[in-house]
Amino acid sequence: MTDAIAVHDLTKYYADLLAVDHIDFQVEQGEVFGFLGPNGAGKTTTQRMLTTLLEPTEGRIVIDGRDMAEDPVPIKRRMGLVPEESNVYTELTAWENLMFTARLYLVAPSERGVRARDLLERFGLWEKRDVKVEGFSKGMRRRLSIAMAIIHHPALLFLDEPTPGLDAQSTRTIRDLIRELNARGTTIFLTTHQIEEANQLCDRVAIINHGKIAAIDTPEQLKAAFRRVQSVEVALEPDGQAHGEALRALTGVTHSVKMGDKWRLYTERPSGLLPEIVDYARARDLEVVSLNTLGPSLEDVFLEITGQEIGAVRHEAGESTGSGRGPRGKKGGRR
Amino acid sequence: MNQGIVRRIIDEVSQAWTVAVKDMRVYYLKPGMIMFGLMMPFFMFFSFSVRREMAAAQGVARLLALTTFFTAASTGPFVIPLERRLGTYDRLLAAPMSLFSLLLGKIAVGAFFAIAVSVVALVVGVTVFGATVSSPGFLMAGVIIGSFSFSTLGLIFGSIPTRNPGDVQMPSTLLRWGLLFISGVFVPLTEMGGVARALAYVSPLTYAQDLMNYAVLDAGLLNPWLDVIVLLVGCAVFLVPSLLMHRRSRQLGY
Repeated sequence: MTDAIAVHDLTKYYADLLAVDHIDFQVEQGEVFGFLGPNGAGKTTTQRMLTTLLEPTEGRIVIDGRDMAEDPVPIKRRMGLVPEESNVYTELTAWENLMFTARLYLVAPSERGVRARDLLERFGLWEKRDVKVEGFSKGMRRRLSIAMAIIHHPALLFLDEPTPGLDAQSTRTIRDLIRELNARGTTIFLTTHQIEEANQLCDRVAIINHGKIAAIDTPEQLKAAFRRVQSVEVALEPDGQAHGEALRALTGVTHSVKMGDKWRLYTERPSGLLPEIVDYARARDLEVVSLNTLGPSLEDVFLEITGQEIGAVRHEAGESTGSGRGPRGKKGGRR
Repeated sequence: MNQGIVRRIIDEVSQAWTVAVKDMRVYYLKPGMIMFGLMMPFFMFFSFSVRREMAAAQGVARLLALTTFFTAASTGPFVIPLERRLGTYDRLLAAPMSLFSLLLGKIAVGAFFAIAVSVVALVVGVTVFGATVSSPGFLMAGVIIGSFSFSTLGLIFGSIPTRNPGDVQMPSTLLRWGLLFISGVFVPLTEMGGVARALAYVSPLTYAQDLMNYAVLDAGLLNPWLDVIVLLVGCAVFLVPSLLMHRRSRQLGY
């Protein structure tokens, strides 16, 4: 079967700045493909090239077997785009926004109203259909923006950071919709820096760093490739917060991160560390409230590959520092 | 003609119309449009016409040239940078239509706005001030073709790769004012010196003003068909830099 997206040697320079560095990857039909990377890694630049908004400096983009450089119009007809900012027309009502998009994407006149109503009901906006969008909350605008992107039933949907800053209900609605669209055969290209979101939704993820693809694989395969990022999570009482330095000094601990009322101790040998923790607690008459071994999360893998310190993003305040790590990881190959 | 091509042309025209209608609804009542597109030509007219002895028909010819020019040319520099800033321009660029059709829709918005304002100016001139029209056909051609030509001219400034309307307003206003003084609107071509007149023939506004003079006053200096042809050619010529700058914007990421 033809790939939904095939990218060959894709490169983008902004003047002398190399934003995307000769990347290659493929996305299968019907796949949810996550595109992860830290800020400035080249995620949005890549997505803008894939959606024709930005001209590549070098390389080829083939969508559904058609070369984007030839005639992008038939390709664009099969695409939907949800950009990071909800670019809805605030002077128009929700209904008018949908009708405008339906006309722009040449949805048959007899279908427009039916689809618009379905989407507004699906996203909980039907009651607000005649209200100008300037009065909408961020979550409502986001839902409307997604509805506008799918009113023409695209075979390939690009979503750029679809959920950050949204309330739990809107986030859940959007994630459910992504699963539902994918179940109906829509290929999803999800650009995100929310690792857990990618872990939950994606069949495969690509991690881009400094404009290069650092890894491509399924979330589980990526985690398996980083077994060294295992950890033990322990909660001690009383006064469990005070033992961070001492726990970090236990044999085999590479570094520790405070996780709320617990400490996460990173190690390559969790089985060897468990008795040491128990001995430590017993010697000081501490109660072990909880003790868990954890495999690497996708976030750990992401941080390893992008060279950021584990815990640097989530727990800066409470971290007991480990040594900095350079970029590592396997070079992305196909599937 | 190939049926697929015909279908594609129909689709593209329909999409251009969709963009134009949306823009009319969204932008006509924006303060920037009212200021630069509606009030400015009337301010200019009254600034240079008050206390000067002028027949009603002469005033109408001048006002029509001003409204088609100022109103039509003000839309592109206002709407496109604003849409770029709001991110809505990406929605249009990502839509399944050619850049040509998108720009056609944008040109139509300015042109329709200018035609509407010109019709109001004409109706007031005829009914209130008793002006007469010598050649309604050429008047209609002048207003319609002039509006499209000047809207295309304004689109050049709207195509400058920027997200800030302020970056565009300054050069576009400078050009519009400059053209105003070399195009026979306030100083008739017959009273201009050699160099000034040579410059006037470079300005598209000269031909619009001359066509209005012919249509309203029966006093054009040039052949009215030449005026029509120059304005039509202007529509095509002014579109080229806009297409090139949009291509440049796509390289730069605007």
